[in-house]
Amino acid sequence: MSGFDQLIGGFAVALSWKGLAYCFIGCLWGTVVGVLPGLGPLAGMTLLLPLTFGLDPTIGIIMLTGIFYGAMYGGSTTSILVRIPGEAASVVTCIDGYEMARQGRAGPALMIAAVGSFIGGTVSILGLMLIAPPLAKVMIAIGPSVQVVLILLALGAITAVCAGSRIKTASMIVLGLALSTVGLDKLTGVPRFTLGSADLTGGLSFTALAIGLFGLSEILINLEKTETIKAIVPKLKDLVPRWHDLRESAPAVGRASVIGFIFGIIPGVSHVVSTFVSYAVEKRFSKHPEQFGRGAIAGVAGPETANNAVTGTAMIPLLALGIPSIPATAILISALTIHGVQPGPLLLTEHPEVFWGLVASMYIGNVILLILNLPLVGLFVNLLRIPYTWLVPIILIISIIGVYSVNFSIADIWIMVVSGAAGYLLRKLGYEMAPLLLALVLGDRLEENFRLALTMSSGSYAVFADRICTIVLASTLGLLLAIQALAWAFGYRKSFADETGNG
Amino acid sequence: MRLGLRRLPLAFSARNGGILAAGLLGACGAFFVAQSLLLDLGGIALPGPGFFPLALGTILLGCAALIALDCWQSCQAGVMELGHRDVLITIAALLMVPVIFEPLGAHLTLGLLGAAMLVLIGRVAPPLAVIAAGAGILACWYFFEVLLGVELPAGQW
Repeated sequence: MSGFDQLIGGFAVALSWKGLAYCFIGCLWGTVVGVLPGLGPLAGMTLLLPLTFGLDPTIGIIMLTGIFYGAMYGGSTTSILVRIPGEAASVVTCIDGYEMARQGRAGPALMIAAVGSFIGGTVSILGLMLIAPPLAKVMIAIGPSVQVVLILLALGAITAVCAGSRIKTASMIVLGLALSTVGLDKLTGVPRFTLGSADLTGGLSFTALAIGLFGLSEILINLEKTETIKAIVPKLKDLVPRWHDLRESAPAVGRASVIGFIFGIIPGVSHVVSTFVSYAVEKRFSKHPEQFGRGAIAGVAGPETANNAVTGTAMIPLLALGIPSIPATAILISALTIHGVQPGPLLLTEHPEVFWGLVASMYIGNVILLILNLPLVGLFVNLLRIPYTWLVPIILIISIIGVYSVNFSIADIWIMVVSGAAGYLLRKLGYEMAPLLLALVLGDRLEENFRLALTMSSGSYAVFADRICTIVLASTLGLLLAIQALAWAFGYRKSFADETGNG
Repeated sequence: MRLGLRRLPLAFSARNGGILAAGLLGACGAFFVAQSLLLDLGGIALPGPGFFPLALGTILLGCAALIALDCWQSCQAGVMELGHRDVLITIAALLMVPVIFEPLGAHLTLGLLGAAMLVLIGRVAPPLAVIAAGAGILACWYFFEVLLGVELPAGQW
């Protein structure tokens, strides 16, 4: 069966009433969580994860992915109208988006953000469709040693991309890897760190940890803030941009599509970084850089296109390699695994309906979001008028039921609460949770493949450098780590010198 | 000496907070090292189940030491606040949930949580909070139990 036939088959799944209904639910819920501060795509996906248990895996993944890119759309609405980023990838949009809204140009800003998101999203789906199948074919042939180097490279890239202290990011990765060892050892069946509890033999619940570290910690941090929300709501007729706006935005949308496309493959917080890079690039290319920060439409078009262009390409490492590049795709891994579908190179041959159904639904979802977001912008903004403290009990109750329903275990509720409190404390101290979660997902595969590779080579570490691809990947990893170490050491010495100099 | 009531939230220096977090990470690392030593470590060529966690625990200890040193030598006079009233109430309420979830049943536990949160952090009048929580639990029951077939504990009645 050719790729085109499979795509047609994918559209048949996505256009079935069930596919359309769950894609719509995902997009709608994604927009809502994107609009509400404190509920990003990750929390939105984890909260509805239990809903997918009774569904066909393809339909479940269609809904979860809809939440992911729906949140990217929704985040821009509050950035532009209220100057509150609904989620991290919309922070940059606040700068010029809100300025435009203050100048009475909220409509064009929203329209350009939506159209840019649509174009960025569509470009990235094309990339996913064209790159993932051939990449998966290559990756089928790789052995455990290449997988080890590839996972280490992904984790190394996270330390390079994540904002904040490198050593803190590295420590979160190591903690995530260590936590992944809790439970039965896959190769020998020996229980590790279970403290005698039968509930922990299956390992720490990923859903409980994800909701705790991201959802709950975010809620706790937001409870400390008391901001009065004053929204600027445009009328539907004001949405049409001027010819000048279109001329200014078009090149920005084009460049940002490429930027988002490239950054989507890099593990870490690529969707956030891509928006900052896009903003910087637009400022550099602009004939009037002084207008940035004062309502430049390219400052809205670029970042919004970039963060949506990431959504499709972020699926490439997930579906072709089984490696999540951002926390949201880690949730998709968890959902697929629960349904007995193993993400990775074999996904396209063993479950092509999941891959092509997802690709087709992303096209449809982008159209749904374009139709949904512009006319209903007033409705979404009104959600912000509900006091946050009234929303918290609702979110907590859904989270608790969601966490409990995965394994029907009280231990999972404990894990959620404790990890939420720990995540809150760590985030206040400048630690990022994304590296921890990604390492947690990759940890058991890293260990399993590491030990398998050594067993197959009778204990020879040369197995990690006996092929051209492993040598190239290992060299890249070594270079990346060396740069990180040098940058950290240089920064450390500089700050130490400043400290002693001041002292 | 008479102890006065402290006002929440409490302010900490960023330096002390950083060292505290490093200490917690170090404790995690030490836990993994200590527990790994009870397992079969295998050899460097053929690692056993304790090898990988031992290596990770050791690295985590090293990272914690570096972070603590970094905080000790480079942290400026930044201040962080911990112990916001609403945050403490939420954590305390959540800690109660796993304790009473099975004995009281999911519906009553979550209803109590919802009502308590609405009164204490949402500043909603108690009768209204009870009605809202009741309606919320009814909606959850219909959505999760009737529509999705999720079986929640009914309580030891």
